[in-house]
Amino acid sequence: MAGFEFELSRNITIGQYLPTGSLVHRLDPRVKLLSFTILVIAMAICDTYVGNIIALAFAICLFYISRIPISYGLSGVKPAIPFILILAVLQLMFYNKVASGGTVLVDHGFILITSDSIRLVIVSALRFIEIIFLSSVLTLSTSTTQITHGIESLLRPLKYVKFPVHEFALIITIAIRFVPTFAMEMEKMMKAQASRGAEFGTGAWWRIIQRTKDVFPIIIPLFNVAMARAEDLVLAMEARCYTPGNERSIYTKYKAQNKDYIAILFCILFASLLLLFPFPY
Amino acid sequence: MSESAILEVNNLYHTYMEKTPLEYKALAGINLQVKKGECVAVIGHTGSGKSTLIQHFNGLMRPQRGEVLVDGQNLSDPKLDVKALRRKVGLVFQNPEDQIFEKLIGDDIAYGPLKMGLPLKEVRDRVKWAMELVGLSFEELKDRVTYALSGGQKRKVALAGVLALKPEILVLDEPTAGLDPFSRQELLDRIALLNKQEKMTVIFVSHNMEEVAYLAQRIYVLADGKNLIDGTPREIFGNTEILRRHHIAAPQTVEILAHLKQRGYSVDLKAFERESAAKEIVSILQPFRR
Amino acid sequence: MIEPLIKVNDLSFEYKLNNKTSIPVLKGVSFDIFPGEYVAIVGHNGSGKSTLSKHLNGILKPSSGDVLVSGSNTKELQMLREIRQKVGMVFQHPDNQIVATIVEDDVAFGLENIEIPAATMKDRIDYALEAVGMSEFRQRPPHHLSGGQKQRVAIAGIIAMKPDCLVLDEATSMLDTYGRRDILNVVRELNDDGMTIVSVTHHMSEVAEASRVIVIEQGQIVMDGSPREIFQQYERMQQLKLDIPVASRLARLIHEYDEEFQSDLIRNNEIIQEVVRLSAKRGVFVG
Repeated sequence: MAGFEFELSRNITIGQYLPTGSLVHRLDPRVKLLSFTILVIAMAICDTYVGNIIALAFAICLFYISRIPISYGLSGVKPAIPFILILAVLQLMFYNKVASGGTVLVDHGFILITSDSIRLVIVSALRFIEIIFLSSVLTLSTSTTQITHGIESLLRPLKYVKFPVHEFALIITIAIRFVPTFAMEMEKMMKAQASRGAEFGTGAWWRIIQRTKDVFPIIIPLFNVAMARAEDLVLAMEARCYTPGNERSIYTKYKAQNKDYIAILFCILFASLLLLFPFPY
Repeated sequence: MSESAILEVNNLYHTYMEKTPLEYKALAGINLQVKKGECVAVIGHTGSGKSTLIQHFNGLMRPQRGEVLVDGQNLSDPKLDVKALRRKVGLVFQNPEDQIFEKLIGDDIAYGPLKMGLPLKEVRDRVKWAMELVGLSFEELKDRVTYALSGGQKRKVALAGVLALKPEILVLDEPTAGLDPFSRQELLDRIALLNKQEKMTVIFVSHNMEEVAYLAQRIYVLADGKNLIDGTPREIFGNTEILRRHHIAAPQTVEILAHLKQRGYSVDLKAFERESAAKEIVSILQPFRR
Repeated sequence: MIEPLIKVNDLSFEYKLNNKTSIPVLKGVSFDIFPGEYVAIVGHNGSGKSTLSKHLNGILKPSSGDVLVSGSNTKELQMLREIRQKVGMVFQHPDNQIVATIVEDDVAFGLENIEIPAATMKDRIDYALEAVGMSEFRQRPPHHLSGGQKQRVAIAGIIAMKPDCLVLDEATSMLDTYGRRDILNVVRELNDDGMTIVSVTHHMSEVAEASRVIVIEQGQIVMDGSPREIFQQYERMQQLKLDIPVASRLARLIHEYDEEFQSDLIRNNEIIQEVVRLSAKRGVFVG
């Protein structure tokens, strides 16, 4: 109990927006979302050392272009390190059959390490970091509002197949809007119950029923509060003339400019380079 | 450390997300002493560090720098018995009615004592004692459902849930926020009773100066994570300048007196109680006073 | 004769628990609200005042009786949009009525719903944020704002829709003194510019600002008059579990010692004016 960490809301960095007014910030969010998707796919496929090092360098460059301190990216990587390590160990242990090409380095019992499995581990770690960096740049340079507007705008053609684009976008917006609120709520609830003697995550793991019971004092009130909030929100939305399914006008419209076309063209070129260029290593 | 202080905070610091770009200093060298049996108010503008401070009192947060002593026990001690501490220091959060999770009133109040592993009879006694202290009839209400209660009643149930731990120090964050005037007054009277009759040490955070004026024997003023001044309500409310500078409202009586003083009337700003404020105004209207 | 903006006619409302039992909340309430009025609705918790306010823009529908907004009945579904455009409402919890992830978009939400073209939307948002003094926050995420600021954003979201009437349903009860004062100033300015205000509140210093007070008790109107008239009936207010403003209490206390001091004052500045008046009259030295 003593070392239990209660601070949730103040330690969430993901989804923070850092306005610096850089070129990247000023790009059309649709362009950013598309470029992001293209780059992530390319990085996920590229499996050479050189290719990934170039991709990492590119991701780092993005921080400089968008005038965001690289420490933001690193603070995003930090919590992912255990995952990267676990992934590495798992890959070393279980993927040896898949990546059994190359020179055999260690062959001891069931452990078989080859130059290819080493490559797999290192490249995966690099990919992970690249993608975290890329997502950090995206979320730090694009407000959640722009992201939802961008998604909505990109999905708009789906309206013709009767997909409720606007409702979908509104749901995403509200969900994002309430993440910090609920993080705060949950933190408060845990602290309040702990003040009454509640304990979380202390009982032995096999006492599943006891441990499940332990979370009731958090989950039940949290659910009640969420319901009350939802009810309030519905009233407030209705009071402002919201009727689901009705036609609405749109405040924010994006118009792609030359720089946007150049940016996406550049990203496509870069992605093709990663995918198609025969890197030696 | 002074002899009679039951709670003592020495040069306490707390920084959120230290060494990240989003670093935020919530506490920057707080010093505070509360004597046994006192009723102390902590006031300050939003973001002055009040909530962070009081969460140190029952070990929800540990000192990053500086120390917190409760009854002589240092909260930085790694071997600290946190559960015992939380029984000694009962912390009531803002809108505590949100934390009610049992269906029946009695069950919810019994949660803390049950968690302590007390025998059923003792639990029952404590629930009865706590309910009656906050003015809820044990016989009548213990088997009622919690969701049918009014806002003021629910808050009393939540308060009883903490009182059932029999704390020596009761810490409250905005105890009456959002209540109507009648329930507010009722609750304030209950807190005053806990302090006077049960000899509980009470520390509370509040925005409402009428309520601070009503309850507190001593006030700490916080700004930017530091304690600026402390003193009796008369001393603090009389210092309208420092309150204004840190966006803290004074009681309305003091605001009226301060306006009069600005206009050149010689009134004593310390007279925040309605009766004495009225007397101040009566006295400046006497033609043959001098 | 001026037509009332809102006409409440023999309004009754009951919550249906199940087919057999229902709890009556409002019992035959009738009153009119005229353009430009500033009406405070008070009553202790559970008196039905919040339920009443939610009838004014058709969020709740009367069990019997009618509510007419500029002649349109809130029971007519096709009129609802127009009614809600005319009567905007701000609720108690600042956090629960903000929809968007930045201030500007939240103000736009209502405008989007009533299909205001994008070209005119910006002007309206500018105007609304200016009116509540939140222009510099237009790009901020709402969760970084204080309670008072959030409520001002909520008000901006309503007044951007250019309503005739603003209903505040305990909109200041979660705020600190400074936050409440900011909201009051905004509301007073809106009222000066001709907007009708209906404010449901516990805070008697807010009630003192209104031009008219309606007191609700057990689902019925028990008092209706100017704040000065209402606050004179001190004992009656106590019976109804209601407070009176600090200024009123103070005036009464001073009056006990000094009979010439008027006892029916309700605002802080009236006390000061009275002191100035009396000291001038008596030739008391000042300064």
